[in-house]
Amino acid sequence: MNLTCKDIGLRLEVENTLLEQLYNTGMKHYPNEFGGLLTGHYSEDMKTCHITGTLLPQKYKSSRYYFERGREGLLEKLEKLYHAEPRSIYVGEWHTHPDGEKGPSDTDKQAMQTISDHEEVTISCPVLLILATSPRGYTPGFYVNFKNKLYEYE
Amino acid sequence: MATDKVKHLDCVLESHKIRKEQALLDKHTAKRGEIKEALEAKYTNTLYAPFNSGSLAKNTAVNTKFDIDLMAPFKRNAFGSSGTLEDMYENVYKFLYDKYHGKEAVVRRQKVSIGLEFYADADGHVVKIDVVPGRELNQGEYLNDKRLNLYVYEQFGRFEKGADHLRSNIHAQVKHIRDRAEAERDSVRKIIRLLKVWKIGKGSGPKSFFLELITIKAFDSKTITGDIWEKLKTVLEYIRDNAKTVSLPDPGNSGNDVADTMTDSEKSWLSSDMDTMLTNIAASDDMIKSYFRINEKHPCPEEKQENRYGVKREGASNPPANRFG
Repeated sequence: MNLTCKDIGLRLEVENTLLEQLYNTGMKHYPNEFGGLLTGHYSEDMKTCHITGTLLPQKYKSSRYYFERGREGLLEKLEKLYHAEPRSIYVGEWHTHPDGEKGPSDTDKQAMQTISDHEEVTISCPVLLILATSPRGYTPGFYVNFKNKLYEYE
Repeated sequence: MATDKVKHLDCVLESHKIRKEQALLDKHTAKRGEIKEALEAKYTNTLYAPFNSGSLAKNTAVNTKFDIDLMAPFKRNAFGSSGTLEDMYENVYKFLYDKYHGKEAVVRRQKVSIGLEFYADADGHVVKIDVVPGRELNQGEYLNDKRLNLYVYEQFGRFEKGADHLRSNIHAQVKHIRDRAEAERDSVRKIIRLLKVWKIGKGSGPKSFFLELITIKAFDSKTITGDIWEKLKTVLEYIRDNAKTVSLPDPGNSGNDVADTMTDSEKSWLSSDMDTMLTNIAASDDMIKSYFRINEKHPCPEEKQENRYGVKREGASNPPANRFG
């Protein structure tokens, strides 16, 4: 799947097989929310983000309406990916909206800004994937936090 | 990808807007007021009200050089019934030198003005004001005819040092440029400001008044339409083709030709500069960037094609725990 954020000209690429994998993972927690980290890499010109994988949290809390991701154990895995060949890095977050919409809530927007601003996050434009899930299937919504604002890819 | 000339020129103009340097402008205005008060206090009964000239008064200024002039109009007998224009110039120079030089500014003699360059303040801001002494032609007539004689300290163009003077109505000069610049903001005013950016980037060039008048003459002589680049190109071509022969009557005194503020050699160089510029830009759109430079202190908003995913630093991220909804 190739997407472009027309407002700011940034692109995003993700394999459908990865989306299927995330959907299946999310459905294991249905009807509660669930999520994790997105990993991948940027193109040489830094205009395209390639999402290639996910890391799931060891600790989390969730309900039908929220998902709290812990950070335990994630740094070690991210460092391993960073030093691997080819290198992968943290590029953003994903979570499900069971029987909901693919659009971000105010809590989601605030969370992405917190991540952008966090000193231990080495990227400045994290991507957010929201999977609107149901037993019938899923609808993905992709967003990027760019200069303190969340933009949608199309 | 080749430079979009229109977009670039728009950015050049935007980055040179005066309001982007408001703090520095305010300091210039305050200092100009202080100098005006000092002159009025010193020459209580022999000086008419000093007034602003220069590009700021004409609404053609750019923020990399404010070009603030303070005209000081003296009465005919201010320096004695047989006082000369040189007496006037030197008297004002000595007053300003004694008051400011070595204390808070460098004061120097210039072509027809006295330049004051104040030491940089804590913000690194440097205020530059030019004081232009002028003398009315006949005792008591200034308030009616506004005409003034200026002293030529240093030769420029065909005006020789000390041997000549300029006689003009400075108010009329300022009004002429300001009225055209305000009435034709998207054409005359923009082109004048671009030519000033070119001149400042080059480090030398014709007097601003010459550039202002020849731009207006180009607009009056030719049909100039199109986008900002097409308008600029037509004016550059006009200057190239006419700089050596053009007559630019002084709006303050039609007997003066402002073209005389340049020597024949200087006019040839100007024509040659325009020719080279046009040739180079025709060969490569990118060359426009070297002639008309963006004020890097105030870059334009990033364009879509310049946006990138950002990396703050090398190394693995450690994203914080977070709550999503």
